[in-house]
Amino acid sequence: MDLSLYAREGEQEFVELTRSFVRKSVQPMFGGDAPDGNLDMMPSILDTAFEVGLAASPCTGMPGFEYGIWGTSADNPKGVRLSAMLLSAVAEACAGIAMNLHVQGLASRVITSSEGGLPEPPARVAVALQEGHALPDYRALLGHGGEPDEGIGTRVLPTETGWVITGSKSFVYGMEGTDAFLVFCRIAGNRGGENIGCLLVPAGATGLEVRDVGGRTGIRACGLSNLVLNDVIVASEHRLSSREAFSLMGRAMCLHWLGISAMAAGNASGALKAAREYAATRYQGGAMIGEHPAVRKLLALSEARVEAALALLLQTAGFACGNTDFLRRCAIAKLMTTDWAFSAVTDALQVFGGYGYMEDYGMEKRLRDAIVLKTAAGSRNYLETFISDAGREDIR
Amino acid sequence: MKPEALDLQARVDALRPGNASKHLDFFGKLLVDNREMTIWEHDTGLLPVGARIWRRRARDFARRYIRPDAVRADSLPREYDPRPIVSQAARKGFQTLLLALPLGTAFPGSYFLKSASFQVAVVAEEFAAESGGIALLLMAHHLGCAPLILSGHVPTILRHLLPLYARTLRGRPEIMAFAITEPGAGSDVEETEGGAEARLVTTARQVDGGFVINGRKCFISDGAIADKVTLFAKLQGEGLESWTCFLIEKGMEGYSIGRQEHKLGQRASDASELILDDVRVPQRNVVGRLRSGWANNRNVLNYSRPVVGAMALGHARGAFERALEFCRSTVRGGKRLIDYQDVQIELADMIVKLWSARALIWHSCSQFRCYQSASAAAKVAASDISFEVCTKAMEIMGDYGYLENRGAESLWRDSRLTQIYEGTNQINRLAVIEHQWAEISGRCGN
Repeated sequence: MDLSLYAREGEQEFVELTRSFVRKSVQPMFGGDAPDGNLDMMPSILDTAFEVGLAASPCTGMPGFEYGIWGTSADNPKGVRLSAMLLSAVAEACAGIAMNLHVQGLASRVITSSEGGLPEPPARVAVALQEGHALPDYRALLGHGGEPDEGIGTRVLPTETGWVITGSKSFVYGMEGTDAFLVFCRIAGNRGGENIGCLLVPAGATGLEVRDVGGRTGIRACGLSNLVLNDVIVASEHRLSSREAFSLMGRAMCLHWLGISAMAAGNASGALKAAREYAATRYQGGAMIGEHPAVRKLLALSEARVEAALALLLQTAGFACGNTDFLRRCAIAKLMTTDWAFSAVTDALQVFGGYGYMEDYGMEKRLRDAIVLKTAAGSRNYLETFISDAGREDIR
Repeated sequence: MKPEALDLQARVDALRPGNASKHLDFFGKLLVDNREMTIWEHDTGLLPVGARIWRRRARDFARRYIRPDAVRADSLPREYDPRPIVSQAARKGFQTLLLALPLGTAFPGSYFLKSASFQVAVVAEEFAAESGGIALLLMAHHLGCAPLILSGHVPTILRHLLPLYARTLRGRPEIMAFAITEPGAGSDVEETEGGAEARLVTTARQVDGGFVINGRKCFISDGAIADKVTLFAKLQGEGLESWTCFLIEKGMEGYSIGRQEHKLGQRASDASELILDDVRVPQRNVVGRLRSGWANNRNVLNYSRPVVGAMALGHARGAFERALEFCRSTVRGGKRLIDYQDVQIELADMIVKLWSARALIWHSCSQFRCYQSASAAAKVAASDISFEVCTKAMEIMGDYGYLENRGAESLWRDSRLTQIYEGTNQINRLAVIEHQWAEISGRCGN
């Protein structure tokens, strides 16, 4: 399995550039005792990602503005597909670093795709979609029933000079040193299509508490916080175009699910490669373990699942557009690719036997990352209900 | 509420099994069980009296002593002192379960009608539901003791096991460990065909009055804290057929602890390398006959695999209980998660799997002698189910599932090891086939 085999004309160059970034900047962080790599290297790795244009930016003129992961080129299926491939390529080495690039790109894409954008967009930005256990109401996202603000308890009140936000957001992934958060909130008093607002909250805003969620299983190279907003005042120009906040949220969900799918597939692909290498060098029971039927079976199933995950991911990216059908497809991609990828990683780990369970070989990290990608941003139940409802609408 | 809604509710209530069965005849009512009991109570009621008592004791112990230590032991394993919990478990009789009263603490009825592993397995599930690491810390001791009993060598039992049990019962517990795995031979030493070609390095050379052992063992649970280790070595110039079990004691010259592994889970119990550099072992520390080690080892696995299955089941049950609590306390769209039918179906699926694993585990050690195919099948089924159920528990909890303070993720990490140790599940599948080969190959009839 090689991601390059999927690259079309014009994409190969970007994939190679990403691989070069991985070799020079990401791989050196591994090899020490820390199970998640040397996280002290993260600032320089991310700086490099911005310099080489892999990290998207909402600021025009920055290297990643157009062709970074979820840069402005992701306004069409080709660009979405390319970003997904690049995310997978980074996640082959470290899904946590890929998550940094993904959430930066996701937030950048929300800003750049809004009408008028922002006058002075921040360099590093994250997007807050979730509150507690709740994601935005799936029926509303699908456009049939439900209230668009269901699942959004964070409220915003207009004042003469701007907005006052009160509420909380949870499970917000973001780079270390994030300058600002995009917060979707309910505008008090408004009903109908305009009752959702998207506001940019500077990280240092008075009344904003950014609380680390504490210990977690995986994706530790990327920050994860809960936001508490206590009467946070933001300037009026920090609200993204008023009419389209709800559709921006839908688009953000699409790319978020697709990005998680891409990272899951990449992480699994990396696990499979490591297992193949191990199987070719480790002797057991009179032969290299790669020659044992039980191990071959594990590798074959792992490979089949990685291929299936990549195929579904890239097929889904090809349908990228702003409608609810794409949202449904992204939900399916998230549901299935993370599941296949998780199985592929656990099979690959099994090839290592006892060594797979130890931190030294890096497989346990891949498994930890795989379970987080599987459970984050929409539980299985949420996604199943979402897909079921979307399918039902098609029949109507 | 509208009257018609009340009517509907009243009709639904009347149709509930508990109410509907009131219309049965007297003898019909006797044949219906509508008691509101937990699955745990139902299952406990199935057990023989002795095992029932141990199950209750183990759950109480796990909640009182293991639960408070679980997070610390997982997050800071190097700073966790295992001795207090070992002493506490010993005082309560949990460390002497491999012999029946009065020599040990197992109840004779369950011990002889079921197997030596049965009561240990029942206890293992309860411990593992609170902490995989502490459960392994306590259970690995039984694994270390098992070769002493299963050697069938009376002098060994009289010389080593009975005094150890007596000291433990008097409040001076000693920790035992079991050492077969070597850096170049993991699964090989748990399977016949692999064993024939295993590259073993740990070798015993016969000298006056005993043996001198050189070599290394790796991934030994409780290896660093064990007072004594039942360790297997080939005899010099021979192969695995010559494997012999030796009792190695802490403090023997040349015996040292090497690297301690950093594991994904089950961290409270160390997984250590044992280094043997010209370790002189007296003749009295040979466990059983010379060259009986391979047979002893294989039989130890027959008795230990149901216990590993029970530990896996415990991890899964623990994760399920945490997911259940989450579903009870989390509201989405104005309803508790537990009130959604799709969530109920997921939970039911988990219950079905847990129940089936428990049934197979209890079956596998329900006769006096544990046997290879049933033990291996129980270990495979329970560990696969465990990882599946733990994963599902985390999925139901969504993003909360992977937070350490919610408890499910540590059990998920713990459960993954059960698919690997005591023979990978691939090796255990082959063990099922090997034991049933006469049937599978058509050599024996119906």
